[in-house]
Amino acid sequence: MTITRRRPRGVAARTAGIYAVLIFVALAIILPLVWVFITSFKTDGDVISNPYSIVPDPASTEAYSTLAGGQQPIFLWLLNSFLAASLQTVIILVTASLGAYALARLEFRGKKIVFGVIIGTLLVPPVIFLIPNYLIVQNFGWLDTIWAITIPGAAGAFGIFFLRQFFINLPLEFEEAARIDGAGDFRIFSQIILPLARPALATLAILSFLGNWNDFLWPIYVLLSPENLTLQPGLSQLQGTYSTHFSIVMAGAVIASVPVLILFAIAQKQIVESVANSGVKG
Amino acid sequence: MNKGIARRAIAATLALGVGIVLAGCAGSAGGSGSGAVPGEDYAGPKVSITFWNGWTGGAAPVLVPKLIEKFNSEHDNIEVKNVPQEWGDIAKKMPLAVKAGKGPDVAVGHGDDIATYAAQGLLLGADDIVDALGYSADDFPEGLMEAGAYQGDQYGIPWSVTPLGLYVNNDVLRSAGIDPAVVPTDKESYMAALETLKGAGIAGEWVDGYVFTGTFEFQSLVWQFGGDLYNDDVTKSTFNSDAGVQALTHMTDLIDQGYSPPNVAQDGNIKGLLSSETAYNWNGVWQTTNESFNQIDWTVAPVPQIGTEKAVWSSSTHWMFLNNKGQNQDKTAAAATFVKWMNENSAGWAETGELPAANDVRNDPALIETYPNLKPFLDSLPYAHYETSAPGITAANALITTALNEALTGKKSPQAALDDAARQADAILEQNAAKYGD
Amino acid sequence: MQPGRLTRSSSRTRQNTVTSLAPVIPTSRRSLVGTSGVRRRTGIAYLFLAPFLALFTIFVVTPAIFGLWISVTDWSPYKDEQNFVGLKNYIDLVTPGSITFSDFWQSMGATGIFTVLSVPCLLIIPMLTAILLNNNIRGGSAFRAIFFAPYVLGVAVIGVIWKYLLDTQSGMLNHILGLIGLPDNIPWTVDVPWAWVSLVLVTVWWTLGFNAVILLAGLKSINPDLYEAASLDGAGVFRKFWSVTLPGLRPVMLFVSTTTILASANMFGQSYLLTKGGPANATRTAIMYISDQGLSQDNMAPAAAMSYILFAILAIISVINFRVQREKSG
Repeated sequence: MTITRRRPRGVAARTAGIYAVLIFVALAIILPLVWVFITSFKTDGDVISNPYSIVPDPASTEAYSTLAGGQQPIFLWLLNSFLAASLQTVIILVTASLGAYALARLEFRGKKIVFGVIIGTLLVPPVIFLIPNYLIVQNFGWLDTIWAITIPGAAGAFGIFFLRQFFINLPLEFEEAARIDGAGDFRIFSQIILPLARPALATLAILSFLGNWNDFLWPIYVLLSPENLTLQPGLSQLQGTYSTHFSIVMAGAVIASVPVLILFAIAQKQIVESVANSGVKG
Repeated sequence: MNKGIARRAIAATLALGVGIVLAGCAGSAGGSGSGAVPGEDYAGPKVSITFWNGWTGGAAPVLVPKLIEKFNSEHDNIEVKNVPQEWGDIAKKMPLAVKAGKGPDVAVGHGDDIATYAAQGLLLGADDIVDALGYSADDFPEGLMEAGAYQGDQYGIPWSVTPLGLYVNNDVLRSAGIDPAVVPTDKESYMAALETLKGAGIAGEWVDGYVFTGTFEFQSLVWQFGGDLYNDDVTKSTFNSDAGVQALTHMTDLIDQGYSPPNVAQDGNIKGLLSSETAYNWNGVWQTTNESFNQIDWTVAPVPQIGTEKAVWSSSTHWMFLNNKGQNQDKTAAAATFVKWMNENSAGWAETGELPAANDVRNDPALIETYPNLKPFLDSLPYAHYETSAPGITAANALITTALNEALTGKKSPQAALDDAARQADAILEQNAAKYGD
Repeated sequence: MQPGRLTRSSSRTRQNTVTSLAPVIPTSRRSLVGTSGVRRRTGIAYLFLAPFLALFTIFVVTPAIFGLWISVTDWSPYKDEQNFVGLKNYIDLVTPGSITFSDFWQSMGATGIFTVLSVPCLLIIPMLTAILLNNNIRGGSAFRAIFFAPYVLGVAVIGVIWKYLLDTQSGMLNHILGLIGLPDNIPWTVDVPWAWVSLVLVTVWWTLGFNAVILLAGLKSINPDLYEAASLDGAGVFRKFWSVTLPGLRPVMLFVSTTTILASANMFGQSYLLTKGGPANATRTAIMYISDQGLSQDNMAPAAAMSYILFAILAIISVINFRVQREKSG
């Protein structure tokens, strides 16, 4: 921006160059996705006999109707995924924002230790947690319930770190003014910090939602009834059931992705802004 | 609120957490041998039982619910709940679920899993129900009852067998000037067909180095050359014997001589067959119900005899009764009633692309009339070999696939690849003996 | 540290670690300045922290400690009692000829190869993309959405898509290469080095947008006046990149690089689905091997020991990374 202002002569050529590169990268990224989308509208025979064609011949919603009418309750899975991802997102937002407030805005004994432990656990390979957490969830009587796929996952350190980083960069002035007015910590948290942090909360919301939505191994272990399953482990079932029915597998991928894509499209402006403001800049 | 309280609260939380996990260990001790599966029909109060199976593809998703509905309508006091899911998912979740008391009352599993599950204390002995059904080893193909037994007790009741066959794309054969009606049965005729195909610019059989189905082909060939995978008491691997080396060399030769392209990816060969790029594919009987085959003109034959004797790999499925923590005996009795009923009503099972295990059901002439595609598989059963049954065997079997993959990608010679795998497999067998022995 | 992160492979792990490590250096310094002299409010602080710490203690700290305990026993979920075996599981892992030695270190090597190959790509390509996006262009949000789009897909879907595109004989990629006169039989998922190329390519494709969005945010936070000043000094494009952009991005880079290293070191899903760890076991990563041992083969105790060895190595690398980056910015 600054550069173009100073050297107006090269602007057009330079902009064209930037667009060329960006469009090239964008195409490289989006073509496989477009191909997935197209394939989901092909028929079985078309996929097999014209694997490289980019136009469905004939275009068909057969794959989608097979999924909708099939043995697997794919729409129930969709609903379960939506509920679980939403619930976990809410839990993360509440617990992480409260905790991050303490870590970012309060001085207290043991702060460094708490902080160090949280960072340290990030380095532990997650595979080690699976069986211990299975036993814990089992003892809580949570196997095959929505709690199993929302509560343990909400204990991760990402949310609290993300928000702490944002909170710590918020200007002190409002808070000090409020304190002078006699406001307590909870009021400062809820009436000053949270409103200022809205973009960060939105970012965390979409990332948490995405994380839960795409989770796949843990639900296989803890969800036992088909009616309680979520979409990702369900999709892996479809891949087994319809292994050579590629259009059906792709239709499943489209169904799983479109809701999250829409969510991202809505929230992405806030994500970019909030990351920009969140003190990543240190 | 002072810091002391906070600190104590944290300490308490930590203690709670640790306590829960430790309780988890204690709790995972299992269902304290609630005995065996009863043989007589269940006559108690109404119970609902859960049935896990991996029948998610082909005709089974339609047939199984129908059978269950019929069973439920004939039994006022039993309701069976059908839970189909991927075999791989069952393998992941079932052991822990059973220890948690949340597993199914009855399930279907593969022959190579039963011994492992039995050794892990996950299964109930099924001798009584086998007696009640009147089954003996002679009622099934040879070796099948054995596959469901562990340390002298019967844990699995044979249900179906799934051998390998030779799938043929007739259009590809015709394009190379081969008459599809003439099916290669031995090495000579098979190699001649491959040579003709090669002359027409077609790699006739795409060899892959993955479990599906390169490993199945390799194992078939080991037996065809007179070898075996392990010794009788499964303490030593023998797949690196001369027979094993001959088997693997046959497969690498197919690549070296241009009958197969190099570097076939997993499932690449079945895709190649369906898209008419190759003529032959060694694959399981389960593919007979794959609707994608409707797109091509195909037949299926017994796998050709490449080695010195006839042999073919086959998997098998078995009924299992789960030893859930706190397993309800009424439910087990109801599950046994269900399994008996299924065995008495298994005539239609061939529709799913699996061969019924019981000889009298399978040998009913009506079966081939209804499902002509199954004939070559039935014909090959007399010389079929079933998966090795021993606790923890799948870890050793995985090394066979590694060796295959190494040889087919040219990393090692067949002999070296098999020797290395055998050495490691022996160490695993030793570890298994220590882990699962008494 | 959710259990679910196990499957999310590299990017999902990153998702949860992203932004988490950066603040350690830059912001703790700031917090001391900002709050020095403020009286301690320990009670109220723990009250705020309580809901998080309760979950964190039960589902992260406890399993981590439990895992440490498992690693010094012969624990199995199928056995009633377990025996303390001391450091045996660790000693086996460093004893040549033991049953796990060669497989474990081969898998650690595979993880190392993937990390070395993928981290530069995952930093440089998103960086260049972010720099281009930082020009005030039309359609910026559309580009951002496109770059981010693959990231919303789950690893199972990624595996299925690319297994099809990368098939040796019938894959779309080889088909296209053939059309433009290049070799059309490249074993993308079957043989090395191509399998590595594929794994890196797929990972970059999948997660590029995530790093790009964060780096873009970092670029946006650089004071435009610095560019003006550099221009007045007669600096060219590259000079400005070198003396303004890079220093300005350093804190973000510390953060992105740390989380990218961690994510790559935890890679698992891509190999599991695309290459099956092959050829032979060349692309079987540490996490893939540990998962197989611990979850499928009922060898949880050795698997726990392996996890903690990986943890120790990651800790060392993270500390070095922090030191290096801190020195540069200092």
